[in-house]
Amino acid sequence: MKSKVATASADSGRKSTKIDGFTILNGIFFLITCIIIIIPLVKVFVDSIDAKAAYGMNLIPNEFSLSGYKLVLSTVALYKPFFISCVITVAGTLIGLILCTLGAYVLIQFDMPGRTLFSYMLLFTMIFQAGMVPMYLNMKSLGLTNTLWSIILPGSINIYNLILMRNFFEGIPQSLFESAEIDGCTPMGIFLKIVLPLSKAALASIGLMFAVYFWNEYTNVTIYINDSNLQNFQVKLRSLILDDQSLAAATSAGIFQTTVKNAAIIVAIIPPLVIYPICQKYFVTGINMGAVKE
Amino acid sequence: MATQPKVAKKPLKVRLYTYRWFYLMLVPVFIFVFFFNYLPMLGIRFAFYDYTPFKGPTWCGMDNFTKLLSNAQFWSAFSNTWILSVGKLIVNTFASVLLSLLINEIAGIHLKKFVQTLVYLPHFLSWVVVASIFSIILSPQNGFVNDILVTLGILDEPVYFLADTKAWRWVFFIVNVWKDTGWGTVIFLATLTGISPELYEAARMDGATRTQQMKYITLPALADTIIIVLILNLAKIMNLFESVLVMYNPKVYGVADVLQTYVYRQTLTTQVPNFGYSTAVGLFRSLIGCALVLGCNWASKKVRGRGII
Repeated sequence: MKSKVATASADSGRKSTKIDGFTILNGIFFLITCIIIIIPLVKVFVDSIDAKAAYGMNLIPNEFSLSGYKLVLSTVALYKPFFISCVITVAGTLIGLILCTLGAYVLIQFDMPGRTLFSYMLLFTMIFQAGMVPMYLNMKSLGLTNTLWSIILPGSINIYNLILMRNFFEGIPQSLFESAEIDGCTPMGIFLKIVLPLSKAALASIGLMFAVYFWNEYTNVTIYINDSNLQNFQVKLRSLILDDQSLAAATSAGIFQTTVKNAAIIVAIIPPLVIYPICQKYFVTGINMGAVKE
Repeated sequence: MATQPKVAKKPLKVRLYTYRWFYLMLVPVFIFVFFFNYLPMLGIRFAFYDYTPFKGPTWCGMDNFTKLLSNAQFWSAFSNTWILSVGKLIVNTFASVLLSLLINEIAGIHLKKFVQTLVYLPHFLSWVVVASIFSIILSPQNGFVNDILVTLGILDEPVYFLADTKAWRWVFFIVNVWKDTGWGTVIFLATLTGISPELYEAARMDGATRTQQMKYITLPALADTIIIVLILNLAKIMNLFESVLVMYNPKVYGVADVLQTYVYRQTLTTQVPNFGYSTAVGLFRSLIGCALVLGCNWASKKVRGRGII
């Protein structure tokens, strides 16, 4: 044991002092990679705080100003979609997690009659989908079009996430369930007092997947919602980028339209940008849970 | 363990009673699955109907399908789906493998963490945001990229990249690489950290160079994962939609239009949508997607002993 540690430290010592051509090349490669990834974001940010001609090659604002953000945060047509996005994200994530955990908990009851049939019924929906038009007609006949439910409800039943959750639940030792049962715990009690507290990592990572999905939701909103009062921020941002007419307020206020566009992009990025570095480890757990489970 | 066979022998009625609460817990899940997955499937019948918002559905047999098979726009969308999906898959996988090999070679743990955090980031931005950023950066009027290329003398005059039929597909691939290469490395890095360090140690003792180590230890270990990633993504080929929807425009329909965007336009942005026809196109897509998933599932079972579904 001792000798192993000694060789390991000697090895790492040797490694850190040795700087060969490869290390330098690799360093340069990553410098370039990082710059390529970061530059589009930096450019958008710089242009969003630039009151003068926010375009071109400059990476420093010509004239610093927050007027773009002020406009985004003070125009009803712009901040209302932001709140709608928040509502969709919170509600969708909560409902999604409830459905996921309930379904996954039932699917790990190996003795339950009908379990196999249930899981096949769920899996079938992953293989074959009705498609966009039947889905649209269905939402219409359910009376859900032009309501936020049309975004929240179909998005919150995600079989892929349910299966991930089941994979995680399968790792909980059976003996825990058995002893809780002997102590007179009901199935719901086991679910709330044992399964959920033991799955905080899975809840965090799948919850984040739902949150990112709902925050970034765009296509379904354009399909199911016509009412411009119910558009979410992504849809609003898209029409802002495409259609300059909705920026008339900016022009009349003497603010460059591109400044407002860039500011709106930054506002759309902020929530994921704030949450992501804090929760990065959970995102990574999530993908590994599904992909490299052996 | 010992109690398990005994439980299995209990009569069905007793077992049904034992699990009564679990059936209750499954109810909400099945309500959702019924209303949002199975009920819409009834609408597939419209593929065999003539159905517009002004005229109720009337049976027309296979008319929609004959119409579809003779439509040039449909075939263009069909081939674009394959070209864009497969191209994206190959380019992204190659870039991800390369990047993860190089990330794996970073010595400092903090630097490695930093680089990982940074390269994962674009994955969490929505397609709308990504398309907005690139439409501004690639803009022909004082766009960042055009300005640089013109200043450096590489281009004589600004190019409208997103409306240029020759450039569009490359722009699409590059934007995809920018967004998803980093995230694609997660699974490869998980495999790489699983390789025993003793292998490298032994190789170093035998005098293997870094490239030799990469060629004889790292790449063979990655081969299985690469195949799995390719299979998993092959199953999703027909799903290509939002990324195209936010990046294409009427000028590049010929090279950019995919089946999903074709259905989308036929349903939502035409004067008189024929729901029957667009359902037929959607059904065609679903069936190919279904065959792909089943094929990939079969392939996955062959390669790694377990399916993807």
